[in-house]
Amino acid sequence: MIYFIGKYLHPNFEFFSFLRLVDYISARSIGAALTAILLTLFFTPIFIRYLQRNGFVDQARATGIAAASDKAGTPAMGGAVMAGCVLISCLLWCNLANPFLLIVLLGMIWFGFIGLLDDLAKMRARSGDRGLSEPKKLLLQAVFAAALALLLISPFSPLPSSQIGAFYIPFLKSPVFDSVWFYFPIMFFFVLVVGNSVNITDGLDGLAIVPSVFVVGVLGVFGYLLGNAIWARYLNYPFLPGTGELAIFCSAFAGAGIGFLWFNAYPAQVFMGDTGSLAIGGCMAVLSIVLKQEALFLILGGLFAAEAASSQIQDKIGIRWLGRRIFLRAPLHHQMQHKGLAETKVVIRLWIASGILALAALATIKLR
Amino acid sequence: MQTIKRVLLAGGGTAGHVNPALAIGSAFASSETRLLFVGVRGKVEEEVVPREGIPIRFVRASGFPAGLSADLAVFLLNLFIGTIQSLAILLGFRPDIIVGTGGYASAPVVMAASLLRKIRLIKSRIYIHEQNAVPGKLNRLMGRFVHQVLVTFPETLSYFPRNGILAGYPLRRRISRVRREEARQKLDFIIPEGRKVVLVFGGSQGSRTINHALVDALGHLLAHRDQLYIIHGVGLFKSREYNALKDTEARLRRIYSEERLKCIEGFYTYRPYFHNIELVYAVSDLVVARAGAGTLNEISVMGLPALLIPKPNLPGDHQVMNARATEMAGGAEILYEQVAPANGKLSEWIEGKILAERILALLQDDSRLREMSLRSRSFLNTDALGRIERRIRGIGAESEQNARPSIQATDAASLPGNAELLALLERAFEEQPTAYKPENVISQPQDLEYFKNRASALLIHPQWQQRNLGVKLLGLLHARKRIPALAALFCDREPVSLFKRLLGGDFVQVGFIRRNIITAFVRLNECSPEVEKSLLLGLEDPYYEVRAEAARAAACYSARLSSREPFIAGLLKLLASPVIDVAAAAAEALGKLGGEHDALPVLLSMWNSKFWKVRAAVLRGIFYLVDRAEVTHLELLEKQVPRFVLTSTDFTPRFEIKSAYQELMEAVSRSKKAGNAQ
Repeated sequence: MIYFIGKYLHPNFEFFSFLRLVDYISARSIGAALTAILLTLFFTPIFIRYLQRNGFVDQARATGIAAASDKAGTPAMGGAVMAGCVLISCLLWCNLANPFLLIVLLGMIWFGFIGLLDDLAKMRARSGDRGLSEPKKLLLQAVFAAALALLLISPFSPLPSSQIGAFYIPFLKSPVFDSVWFYFPIMFFFVLVVGNSVNITDGLDGLAIVPSVFVVGVLGVFGYLLGNAIWARYLNYPFLPGTGELAIFCSAFAGAGIGFLWFNAYPAQVFMGDTGSLAIGGCMAVLSIVLKQEALFLILGGLFAAEAASSQIQDKIGIRWLGRRIFLRAPLHHQMQHKGLAETKVVIRLWIASGILALAALATIKLR
Repeated sequence: MQTIKRVLLAGGGTAGHVNPALAIGSAFASSETRLLFVGVRGKVEEEVVPREGIPIRFVRASGFPAGLSADLAVFLLNLFIGTIQSLAILLGFRPDIIVGTGGYASAPVVMAASLLRKIRLIKSRIYIHEQNAVPGKLNRLMGRFVHQVLVTFPETLSYFPRNGILAGYPLRRRISRVRREEARQKLDFIIPEGRKVVLVFGGSQGSRTINHALVDALGHLLAHRDQLYIIHGVGLFKSREYNALKDTEARLRRIYSEERLKCIEGFYTYRPYFHNIELVYAVSDLVVARAGAGTLNEISVMGLPALLIPKPNLPGDHQVMNARATEMAGGAEILYEQVAPANGKLSEWIEGKILAERILALLQDDSRLREMSLRSRSFLNTDALGRIERRIRGIGAESEQNARPSIQATDAASLPGNAELLALLERAFEEQPTAYKPENVISQPQDLEYFKNRASALLIHPQWQQRNLGVKLLGLLHARKRIPALAALFCDREPVSLFKRLLGGDFVQVGFIRRNIITAFVRLNECSPEVEKSLLLGLEDPYYEVRAEAARAAACYSARLSSREPFIAGLLKLLASPVIDVAAAAAEALGKLGGEHDALPVLLSMWNSKFWKVRAAVLRGIFYLVDRAEVTHLELLEKQVPRFVLTSTDFTPRFEIKSAYQELMEAVSRSKKAGNAQ
């Protein structure tokens, strides 16, 4: 909104010439981040009270770890206010006609909505295990993935036609293959895995949000560089006109994430719930796809990948098929707790790990 | 009333399917009605049907395979060929009525018939009779294409909401009371006067378990050879793996010497199959049999007391349910199959001695036999065949809608299934781990016995998840008699496929099963030599959870072990394990089992072990040693223990507000109790 107002005012009125700033992505990014932080700091306490009044509190499942049972009763669904603040901030600061931005916002809202259904189902059943069933969740996510694939091959695709089926891996300049027949199955799988990986990671206070901010922040840098013809050519990336706007979204996300951490830090006053974790997963997946950085996620989101992989290997291969545990506990953070690390220690160690991974991912920009 | 000129009967595989078809056929047999039977070559019907004077034609068919496999292709191919063959038969015979009695042989016929009806080449009415409480997959599918599905049990109606009709189990009219003397003369063997006659059979195919048990029992019955006579229906089953007749003959010769066989021949005769079973029934005083619907209905019509050996692990556990219903009505007793180790493998069996004892106990109690006989007769009072006949002829059907003929399987629904039962028991156990008793959860001793048997039958289930369920249930049901079976399962070291092993699998009895067997041992709280042997093996198990659980179990049994040395040696090895759960469990167990010389020095040497959880466990272990007054040099210990690294990477938070909340709530409930007491 501010973008459109500024766009209209500064050429026409001398008095508003300072609004030229809206032409700069950097300026709007900072504005978006600050707005999002302030909004979350303001709205989260109000929302927490609302959740408490209505009994929308966490229904912990019995994991057998003592600390987990202490958390039953903490309000969940805090992710809803976070996603809401990102949305408001984007409405204020972004060019709402930008198709990249709209796709990412849609991804966040769709996934957040799936999470909301899940959270509400759990509240109603008063059980941490009886949310939306796994096949239902996956189906709703697959619908989105299919719609995204359709959009990308349609004439309305925001991506240049030469890039649609291209699959890049870090450290290589040219795509490893360029075929929608190979690319779309990978993309489909990617949406489902990344979309749920944050949900799996979200098990300890503050564990999911900080690595998410790192991941989205780095993707914001990618958005800025790839949307700039000079930088893109200099760094040997395909130029994707319009992705610069995503940097503003990512800033708003980082701001809201930090605002959320204010309340979510150990011991947490609020959890993001499935609403938050799926919304984050959804927007991370869509961001990576439209920026053509799917393979980078293995490095950038290495923590999420490891959490998702450990949980799936343990459950699907170990417990259901082989009839044994493969890890002492899964996912990764429970394994660390089981080995005798305090929750706070696990969280901070994994923050450090994800920070290192984010830096490594940034380093790949130049190493090609 | 319609005129019915041609009736086609289809079904087979086992007598359970053939007999109802023959019964229904007999109801229509007359000079102006022609019958034709369609079955599968090489099965019971090939022999039985021609004897009844009914022409038979054969089609290709095979059973619906479980799961996806090459068998499915064979099945589909057979079904296709069978359907083509049936088309030819149907077009040639042009029946007015088609009755399928299940078993895979009726599927192609029903399929072809409904096809021909669709294109109006024949006008036959098609019926299916379902004998079991839980219909098979093929009958469930075929039910959609036919006019009516005649079912035996009311529970089955829910599978055929559109066209299911409660009919009962049709018995051949010949199976009604024949006079004993008359029967005696017609039989092809001679039963000496004054003997009690026992008929033992496991259905038309025979049952390996019953055949083995009876042959074993003969030795125990030998002493009573002038008072009883045993007629054994061995069964027609023939496959590469098991041939009922040959196996039984071989077993007889293997177990008994020539002389004893001579004696046995004096009171024992066997046949692969009885074509005139009504005669055999008529001379019998007691029947030992499976609890299939057909057998039970026949026994009941004959008014015979029975010792039933239900086949476990069937859909809905229906044989056991049938048997329990008959037992409750007072017409029968149940003898459950046991799952027990034989040559290192678990298999179903019945001890010959027990079978002999149960038979003798019944035969010696005349008043009990008479009582059972009466109750057996009154239990079933049905005219299922008449009802089916009227239904098919289209007369007087409506008024019979609500009749409840035939035996009813006791409501399987009222008893919890295995998974449900486990949840029930686990909840009770969690609430009061020390005072837990299965009797408090399951009030009926009969039910408890049934559950124990059902759980132990799971131990030989092909799916490991089900075996695991059985293990957990046996532990929680306190089934102490099943310890040998559990121990045998634990010691079974058959490896899984190479592919699974590469991914971390080890044995067919997977890690969870082995771990849960150890847990079950602790719950059963009985330290037998088998248990000790399993625990020692468990300490060396390739799967870490089993090692840890075995160490904990050894600690529980510390006072009762016959010899501690091998356990201490095993535990000392585990102490160095890189898996913290194992090392910690071993350290604590050493505290309970070890002494100053074997355990203490090693425990003290672990003062700077890498994980605090292990160090904490070591300290607890030393505490147990001190507590058991095993340590004599306490001054030395006082000097050595302070070396321990006490740094920890974990802590338990204490939330003041949560403690305040808890104290308040406890105070409230205390006051409430005090108020109630006044």
